[in-house]
Amino acid sequence: MPINYVEAFIFAFLSTAAFAVLFQAPRRTLAISGVIGAVGWVVFSYMRKDLEYDSFYANLCATVVLSLLSELAARIFKHPATTFVIPGIFPIVPGLGMYNGMAKLIENNYEAGVNTLLRAGMDAAAIALGMMFMASFFRVLKLSKEQRRLSRLLPKKR
Amino acid sequence: MDKAAVCLTREQTLNVALNMGKVLLRSGAETSRVEDTIVRFCHNNGYHDVNVFVTPTVILIGDENSGSSTIMCRIRSRSTNLSNVSAINEFSYNVQRWHLSYESSMDYLDKLLNSAPPYGKWAICLASAVCSATFASMLGGNSHDFIAAFVTGGLSMVLLKQLGGYRPSAFWENTLAGAAIGFLAILCCAVSVQCTRTNIIVGALMPFLPGVAFTNGLRDYMAGDLISGNSRIAEALLFATSIAIGLAFSLLVWYHWGWDLWPGD
Repeated sequence: MPINYVEAFIFAFLSTAAFAVLFQAPRRTLAISGVIGAVGWVVFSYMRKDLEYDSFYANLCATVVLSLLSELAARIFKHPATTFVIPGIFPIVPGLGMYNGMAKLIENNYEAGVNTLLRAGMDAAAIALGMMFMASFFRVLKLSKEQRRLSRLLPKKR
Repeated sequence: MDKAAVCLTREQTLNVALNMGKVLLRSGAETSRVEDTIVRFCHNNGYHDVNVFVTPTVILIGDENSGSSTIMCRIRSRSTNLSNVSAINEFSYNVQRWHLSYESSMDYLDKLLNSAPPYGKWAICLASAVCSATFASMLGGNSHDFIAAFVTGGLSMVLLKQLGGYRPSAFWENTLAGAAIGFLAILCCAVSVQCTRTNIIVGALMPFLPGVAFTNGLRDYMAGDLISGNSRIAEALLFATSIAIGLAFSLLVWYHWGWDLWPGD
């Protein structure tokens, strides 16, 4: 079933912006984190529902895209990247998997419950992995920039 | 940099650094950010031998000399406040550039520590309602699910905020929120046939999930702060379990007695 991307974008935008309010984000960043979260959700649903990738890869790619956007936004709007990433990952957090796993556990269906919970855990790990990847990449960039500046200031070592 | 070293004495530098760390940690920043900010501030003031140890509950700043003073601060309550994280980030750049005096920096930090968060109680409740409703729609819910999740998410956050005045432990707070979500969702399903219970519950659950604690814990692991990582992951698991217990309580009551509890049937 093809999904309506405009609708998905609008709902994800509203939901991420509301989540940013829950986390007391600065007023000026609400709309920006809304757009970032919505882009992440659209990428996720495109990969998951249209291209039918495994949810691990879909989560990983969506997180990489949205943390790249947040790092760029952090440099443009002069707020730390955390301000954008934390609300931004919210639409792809595997809440549905966690709830389904728990619901199966209390129905005494342990095999299916643990299976679903582990799957949700893997999705969470994929999100963390994507965030780490982008954050370390930008940290390396920043460090190498600082080193270049330092090496220009300091006299050359023999 | 020399000018700044003249401006602030050692005690003053440590005091300002401690207050910056206090604001950051209370606002839910990750450990490496707190340590980085403190160390960078001390370096900029010319104190290169400062060591800092931060966990989610304590900040210790000192150095390797036996005769010098060490200061510490215990953090008892933490919440998420991205505005403060952003403000401290900006402040640490400004301090470096403009060499603010001790009094004005302490005034600014005190104001930040005691200021109310930018959104009040009812704005948070409304945000929770909107968040739940739109998430229920994103999962494929219809208009009935939208309204039901709006009511459920909003009311459970109102309950949580009202109970906040009695200072319950975070565990029982989350358990009650979970129980309220389960109860309200079952109620909504009883009122309208077109509602899907899963959509409503997952939507309403989203504002209460400890996603920030979990991601911050993983980030702490990656940065090498093992103790902080352990405690944050443990906190996240504890909160997730407490919500699940509350939710499971409501659902189990429903499974066992179901319509028998409905009056006048």
